Amino acid sequence: MRPRSAALRLTARGPRPSALPGHAPSASRGGELARRLALPCLLPFAPPPGTVAGRRGEGQGSAMEQGEAASSPAAEEKAAAAAGEEAEEEEDDFGYQLFPDRNKKPQSFLVRSLFTFHNRCQLMLRMTLDTNPYAQLLLEAMKQSGCTVFNDRHFSCENCDGCVSGGFDSATSQIVLCQNNIRHQSHMNRVVTHELIHAFDHCRAHVDWFKNVKHLACSEIRAANLSGDCTLMNEIARFKFGLKGHHQTCVRDRAIRSILAVRKVSKETAEKAVDEVFDACFNDLEPFGRIPHSKTDAKRAYRDFQNRDRYNANL
Amino acid sequence: QPPRSCEDYWWEWKHCRGLRHAFHHYYAHGEMPACGRWRDDYEACRAWERGRAAAAQEALCKSERARVMEKQKYAPVWTLRKSPPPDWYLPLDQDKPN
Repeated sequence: MRPRSAALRLTARGPRPSALPGHAPSASRGGELARRLALPCLLPFAPPPGTVAGRRGEGQGSAMEQGEAASSPAAEEKAAAAAGEEAEEEEDDFGYQLFPDRNKKPQSFLVRSLFTFHNRCQLMLRMTLDTNPYAQLLLEAMKQSGCTVFNDRHFSCENCDGCVSGGFDSATSQIVLCQNNIRHQSHMNRVVTHELIHAFDHCRAHVDWFKNVKHLACSEIRAANLSGDCTLMNEIARFKFGLKGHHQTCVRDRAIRSILAVRKVSKETAEKAVDEVFDACFNDLEPFGRIPHSKTDAKRAYRDFQNRDRYNANL
Repeated sequence: QPPRSCEDYWWEWKHCRGLRHAFHHYYAHGEMPACGRWRDDYEACRAWERGRAAAAQEALCKSERARVMEKQKYAPVWTLRKSPPPDWYLPLDQDKPN
């Protein structure tokens, strides 16, 4: 495996949760264990013993990096979904093993077409980018910010390990989509929106993914808030029930889990970081301007975005 | 001309009063939405379009500016870039530092 010389900022996302909650196995190879046993990715947050940060039970991660590698400025970080973090005390295990194809030679065309879900992933991605209003708004916003997104350059469908659904690799400016874990179009829509929000933040601001937990927390709060991760239906499917203001609880919880999955920080540090930036970042609704609870909201937000010149000129 | 078209204000008002939006607002913020502002904005917009009343223009612009200020209430966590990241368009094999 290539040494951690590439700065990889990844946001791992869990797949659609299944019906059985379970506990994260405490083995350090828990990710692989979960996969082999076909354990569902809906795992409650339970840090394995001996590690500082536990894996996210649900496989929602966030984009972040930590500069642990000596030879390069940035190390890669991925949010792992299944339990079992490598108990490496010296270097942060950034979930690198969850994206094993990142630094490998690409497979041959025939192998890739026949034996992986690559084509399905590409089709679903194309469908999302063409029809989903969330994605279209984000693409337009990024274009306005100077980062035009190209399908073949900035998206990559790969096989991933564990329960990860995707990530944002800031080293290569790519959004990684896990073709083996994304099965439904709605899930693809959500993952793409989530990663595009990270990419948008990367594009418009100096986000210090590596060293600043607050920046990380902020991006993760925004992504959970605006991508539809925390809709009532999704939460019910994860067996998390609540109504009054539950959206905020969900966003907070997912942000904390993400941070803990990819950074070796204590739970208290993660919670503190999230609490400090929560108000600012929960209310930062760029580029949507509202919290889009449905495609109608997203379409409206897209319209408002397109009309923003008129809006700003006539204030 | 008004910052938004009057149909937009009307749509926002109708949407705000709907059950779906009320539910989502309660789910997200823990309280019911207040829609009177959109109605006032719509009235002001119509007055503006009809008679170009200065008071209506002022009221509408004030309301919209207040909305913008509300969004900027909190200090941003990060500094905004002035230009996009330099490696955004680099071809893939040249991206990874060695």
